[in-house]
Amino acid sequence: MTRLLLRYRRTLILSSTLLLSFVLMTLQVRSQSALADLTKQILLTSISPFLRVAAVSKAATVALWNEYIDLRRVRRDNQFLKEEVRQLRAQVGELRETALENYRLSHLLEIRNRVGTEALAAKVIGKDATNWFRTILIDKGANEGIQRHMAVVTPEGLVGRVVDVTALAARVQLITDPESAVGVLIQRSRVAGVAAGSHGGIVQIKYLPLMADVIVGDRVITSGMGGIFPKGIPLGRVLRSSRPTNGALFQETEVQPLAEFSRLEEVVVLKRPPAGDLP
Amino acid sequence: MIAFVLALFGVCLLQSAVVPRLAIGGVQPDLFLVLTFGLSLSAGAELATAAGFLIGLYQDSLSGAPLGLNAFTLSLIGFLVNRVSRQVKTAEPAGRFALLFVAGLVSGLTTLLVLRFFQVPRPLAFALLRTVLPGAIYTAVLGAALLAMPKLKAIRGLGR
Repeated sequence: MTRLLLRYRRTLILSSTLLLSFVLMTLQVRSQSALADLTKQILLTSISPFLRVAAVSKAATVALWNEYIDLRRVRRDNQFLKEEVRQLRAQVGELRETALENYRLSHLLEIRNRVGTEALAAKVIGKDATNWFRTILIDKGANEGIQRHMAVVTPEGLVGRVVDVTALAARVQLITDPESAVGVLIQRSRVAGVAAGSHGGIVQIKYLPLMADVIVGDRVITSGMGGIFPKGIPLGRVLRSSRPTNGALFQETEVQPLAEFSRLEEVVVLKRPPAGDLP
Repeated sequence: MIAFVLALFGVCLLQSAVVPRLAIGGVQPDLFLVLTFGLSLSAGAELATAAGFLIGLYQDSLSGAPLGLNAFTLSLIGFLVNRVSRQVKTAEPAGRFALLFVAGLVSGLTTLLVLRFFQVPRPLAFALLRTVLPGAIYTAVLGAALLAMPKLKAIRGLGR
């Protein structure tokens, strides 16, 4: 018997395993046997701890991998965002510049409306090349109707007048130029004088009577005298005022111009033709 | 024996955790078949059959198949591969590939027939073309590659 079993052991084992498998299948499929379920549970229980460890390891590996991938992605995104930030900063700078320009130009248009005359906005394209004069160059000239002696203003106040005109540009003499002279009024007291520039870049009011009512901070506006500057354009505020005791007839008054000459970028040329014939 | 258990658990882990990610068109390789095949090349027929049975049981426990389905199939495969490997040059990669491919086909066909026997209907042509054949090819390719790797050659020596 034993010899027989040994002789046919291969066939016997194969038959046994096939039969056992078949029985297990039959039990499960046909009758939902508890034995088959139990066997399956035992097998699963034996492998489940390893599966759990594998799942944890897999999750850790996946997390590690994802972090690595994320890190690479973050690095790439970082470069992309840096470039985007650089471009956006440039755009913001341009937009800010445009907004500021728009703000300035809208104020310039306000001046035009206030003065009630045709006006032309112009950009400052150059400043005086010497220390002897205080002039600026603007990008509008005779082609745009610019003429000599036209008043030039900013939203803050008076800038000067056009002294030279070419087809495409014009030169503006600032009120701080030593050769400049503007008829002005102390707005509060209505005392008249002449605002003149100086080599030091300070505007002085000449011909103010000694007893004239002038105090520091008084607002100075154009008087309209002389026919170049319309009346009422603000020029500055009294910075200093004194009455000399050396027998002089007039006060010594210094004015702080309202226009920021060091930061001039746009100006408005008032196209009101000068009254009368000026040289 | 310990090596076999470790290999079996390793295959269980790989088949349930890694191999599904390697699926192509819903078809994944069968590492249980590869393990059975590797054992069958070196072990005796009895051991290969018994090992196939145990491996199949574990495969059944990790799948929705009725318990015994893969045990039945892999027992048969273990036995057949062991018998046929004496006539085929399994030392050659091409021989191993061919035999593994045939084993995959036989395994698939057997499974299909058993399922049909137990009234678990599967459309024959569809199952052959979309499951059995691609599965056999994928398993043969991967299995032949794995068994050619020096360290995994140990699988073939588990039965010694």
